[in-house]
This record gives sequence, structure tokens and C-alpha cells, in this order.
Amino acid sequence: MTSRKLLSEAKLWLVAIPVLLWTLIPIYHIFLFSISTKDSAFSGRLWPKQPTLHNFVTVFNQDHFYLHHFWSQIWNSLWIAVATGVITLAIATCAAFAISRLKVRGGRTVMNAALFTYFIPAAFLAVPMYKAMGTYGLLNSRWSLVLAMVTIASPYAIWVLKQASDKLPWELDEAARIDGATPAQLFRLVYLPLMVPSLVAIFTYALLLAWNEYLYAFLLLSHENTIPLAVGLGHFLSSDDSPWELLMATALIYGLPPAAIYYAFRRYMVGGLTSGAVKS
Amino acid sequence: MASVSFSQIQKSFGKTPVLHGISLDIADGEFMVLVGPSGCGKSTLLRMLAGLEDITAGSIAIDGRVVNELDSKDRDIAMVFQSYALYPHMTVRENMGFSLRLREEKRNLIEERVAAAAKILNLGPYLDRYPRELSGGQRQRVAMGRAIVRDPKVFLFDEPLSNLDAKLRVAMRSEIKALHQRLKTTTVYVTHDQVEAMTMADRIAVMNEGRIEQLGRPLELYDRPANLFVAQFIGSPAMNVFDGAVKGGAVEALGARWPASFSKSGGLEGQRVKYGVRPEHLEPASSGIAAEIVVVEPMGAETELVVKVGDTSLIVMTRGRSTAGPGDRIFLAPDPAHAHLFDAASGLRI
Repeated sequence: MTSRKLLSEAKLWLVAIPVLLWTLIPIYHIFLFSISTKDSAFSGRLWPKQPTLHNFVTVFNQDHFYLHHFWSQIWNSLWIAVATGVITLAIATCAAFAISRLKVRGGRTVMNAALFTYFIPAAFLAVPMYKAMGTYGLLNSRWSLVLAMVTIASPYAIWVLKQASDKLPWELDEAARIDGATPAQLFRLVYLPLMVPSLVAIFTYALLLAWNEYLYAFLLLSHENTIPLAVGLGHFLSSDDSPWELLMATALIYGLPPAAIYYAFRRYMVGGLTSGAVKS
Repeated sequence: MASVSFSQIQKSFGKTPVLHGISLDIADGEFMVLVGPSGCGKSTLLRMLAGLEDITAGSIAIDGRVVNELDSKDRDIAMVFQSYALYPHMTVRENMGFSLRLREEKRNLIEERVAAAAKILNLGPYLDRYPRELSGGQRQRVAMGRAIVRDPKVFLFDEPLSNLDAKLRVAMRSEIKALHQRLKTTTVYVTHDQVEAMTMADRIAVMNEGRIEQLGRPLELYDRPANLFVAQFIGSPAMNVFDGAVKGGAVEALGARWPASFSKSGGLEGQRVKYGVRPEHLEPASSGIAAEIVVVEPMGAETELVVKVGDTSLIVMTRGRSTAGPGDRIFLAPDPAHAHLFDAASGLRI
């Protein structure tokens, strides 16, 4: 290796190491708390004297005041995330197909209007959204959060899928039309199979957006049996003497599914979310 | 099998007119080539026949039935695209059978038709491959197979050979022609390559700027181009054309007298004309118009000479080999029967 190469490599490491530490130290902190006993959690050691998995047992057995609804709350999180992913995908795919491939009149306007909603921060929309859900009697129903998350995820999803659709060769549609395909058949037999990578990416995006949501979940859902785990975790902090070791153990469990999903679909994530961003 | 008839077809994109009233009748079983430079409207005309573009004015009939308002799928046509447009997620077999599948034909009928088409096109070994696993020529054949399987009334080809290399293009050219002779399906073929047009067509429509300049059999166009555009577009290397004036039964041009035969005698004396003569009709002779050789391009069976008469470069094609070299003086004796005269102002054949 020449010295020049070595130098540029060294520069990369100089950036990479701080970034890595920046990311990993909090995660390590969570991990450290979750395997510590209550007394030793704040001892300031880098590795506990007596590491234990007892905290996880407590969590799984719902053996603490704050954990009485652990399983139903994680089920809520999953239910809401999957429903958000599925509905967002259905809306965005149909919209992108109509705008990009069927060239529906006014399609561009619809897309621009949807993107325009991002000018308003989601936090500002929280109160109107609360009011709207109240009007429809959806407060405290998981559907209220699903609908809110779909609203927030859809514009971006439509935009990404529209960009990806635009890259499919136009002749394929023409060939299919000549072959006798109706728009519905074109959608099902030609469009969807070719869009799979982008669809996976968008499904994952919406799923994780809902899984990680706190603000809307906190506002729209208040019953212990309807809240997702993210809000449940927040409740840990409502007393003076919070069980930090249990909070961190639960948080670690809560963080695993997104990590697993990212890992499983990493091939699609990079390609799918950036497709259409640049001319390839 | 069917006839195709365009009548007074007009097309505008927004306010830009691209086709100005095209009328063209294609007979049952005919191989019609639309040829012209890019932007002349030939592909637009084909796409209108396919139902992929709206018709601004005029009507198109297939087999006597006006199809203006019919969907592509109801026109009973098949089209081969320049980019092949194969479905990337389907095997060759699925690609070829797709149209039948959409028509909900029986599975064994689809199998049978696909197998028959694959046999014609030598695609048997590739039926279970995906398009990305095929070479350009094979993809082209699959695209043709997809068209054959449907047994349509009309085949449409939109520059199908443009993406192939030169050698493959020549091979596919004869394959398409052989296919047409076998199936005898009415075919409309669009290309910008006049060689393709000449070699494949029953009749050629030469198009330019949204109009048909001339319609006729290949050798008709070659021997009697109706105007300057066709004269210079058809033939390779292109016809030599230069300015002159009619004087005493010949044309004075480039400081020499060029023999010509006039179809209508008299009344032409002194008229400004364009004198056209094809390179192979300018063979060197022992006497005639003096020219100086600039470049010699031996091609084996024939030799192409670039010569200068006065200040104008002309191309001369001689059969066999030439011992001449650059700087040599030769004499040209054009055959008056093969000289083409065009009116200098209108460009029309005299």
C-alpha cells in the first residue's frame, strides 16, 4: 500500500471511528443497563460485576407494575406497524401507477399537493389530527394511529414509487396493451412484479415509521391495552424511582425487530429508497 | 391477414403538426416499409396504426373496418419494438404466450402455439430462459415470436434492427423477410435505413417532414426517383447531384457537357436543373468528361473513387479493381439513359 493510499484510508478511519462510537455508545449503554441488577445499574462500571438476564425474565413474565401489559403492548406495536405498512403500500402503489403509468389527468397536481403537506411539521398536525379522530370516534382505537401514520407516510411513499415507476420502460406498457392487457392486468402482471424491490423498501419504511412513532401514539391512544410499547416505555418515567434496568431491557427488545427487518431487507433498502434519486 | 388503409391522416402534437394528410393503401399480405430520416413521422404513423397515438384527423382501416376508436388490443395487430420490450420477469415461454394467456386461451393451445413459433425462430433451447440471459439477436427473435404466436392480421415493426450490430442486422433482415414469405401476413415496417427498405420491401413509402415523398417498388424508386429528396435518400453511396442548365440537348454543368435524355423535348432550353447520376453509372471511359482522382477506396468486388470535376467532388463506382491512384486523370462518360434531371426550383423530376 502506498503512503498516499494509507493517508486517505487513515482520513476515512478518522471520520468513521467517531461516528461509530457516537452510534454505538448509547446502544451499549442500553445493553449494559439491561444486564445489570437494579443496585449496580448506576455504578459507572463498563461491565457489571454480576451480569444477569433476570431483567428479561421479569419483562417476559410481565412481573412489574409498568410491565403488566407488555405482551399486549408489543402486539399493538406490531399490529399498528404492519397495518400502516400494508395500507401505505396499497395507497402509494395505486397512486404511483395511476400517476406514472396511466398518466391520469391532474396526477402531478395530486402528487405535488401530497408532498406540500411536508411543509407543515407533523407535530403541528397532531392537534388537528386528534380533533379529527375524536370527531370520527376513533380515539383510543388502534385504527386512529394507523390512519395518522398512513397520512404521514403516504406522500413520501407515493413520491418514491412514482420515481421508481418512471424508470420502467414505457414500451413494456405499450407491448402489454397491444398484447391485450387491461389496465388492471397491466398493474398486476407487469407493473407489480417489476416494482418488487421498491415495494419492499416502502413497506419497510412505513412499517418502521409506525413502529418508532411516539408523539401521535401518546396523543391518540391512552388506554393501557391500546397503546403501543413505545408509549408504554414512556410510562416508566412517570415515577420518581424508575426501574431503569427494566426500561432498558424492554427498550432493547423493542429495538430488535427494526434491526432484524433492516438486516433482512438491506439489499432493497438502499436500492429502493434511492431509486429515482439519480439518473442511473 | 388483412389490408390496411390510411386516409388523410393528420397528426399534431400540441400545435405542432407532424403528419399532413397521409393516404396510403397496403394490400393484403404486402410487406410495406416506411422509410425516412428521423423526425419524418414514420414511427408516429405506425404508432397510430397500433393504437398507441391518437389520430388528429383522418381514418385508419384494417381489413376495411375503421379502427380509429378501437383499443390496441381490439385491432388484432402485433408489434415488434426497437427496444424489444420483453417482460423482464417472464421467461421466453411466458413472454411469447402472454397475449394468449390474457385472452384466457387453453393451456395446451398456448403451449402448442409457443412451441410452433419457437420452432420457426429456432428458440427451442431458450424457452425457459429470461430475457436478460439472451443475446440481442435472440431477444429480437423472442419479440418476433411474441408477435407470431398471436397470429395477428398485421405485423408492425418499429426499427426492430437498430439495436443490433451490423452483421446480425443483415442476418435478421433475411430472417424477417423469410418469415414474411412463409406467413404472408401483412406487414408494416418502419426504418430509417434505406438498405433495409430496399432489401425487404414489396413497396416502400419514402417519408419526409410528415409527407410521403414517393411510393413504389424498391427498384422503381431507385430507377425513377420522383424528386431530389428520394433521389438522394435512396441508394448507397448516394446519387451525385449538381447544378446545371439545359443547353442543346445536354446539360452544361461543372464546365462540361453532361448527356441527358429528355422525356419531353423542347421548352427546356436554358432551364436551371439539378443533374443527378448514380455512382455506378459514372464508370470511367476512354474519353468524356475529365476528372481528377482524389481518393481510391477498394472494396474488393468494386472500387469507389472520389473524383473532382472542377471544384465539385463526385463519387464513381467501378466494377472490379482499379489500378488508378490519387492525382490520376480519368474520363467519365455518363449514360444518358441513367441521368436524372430535376427542376432546380421545385426539385421535381423532369
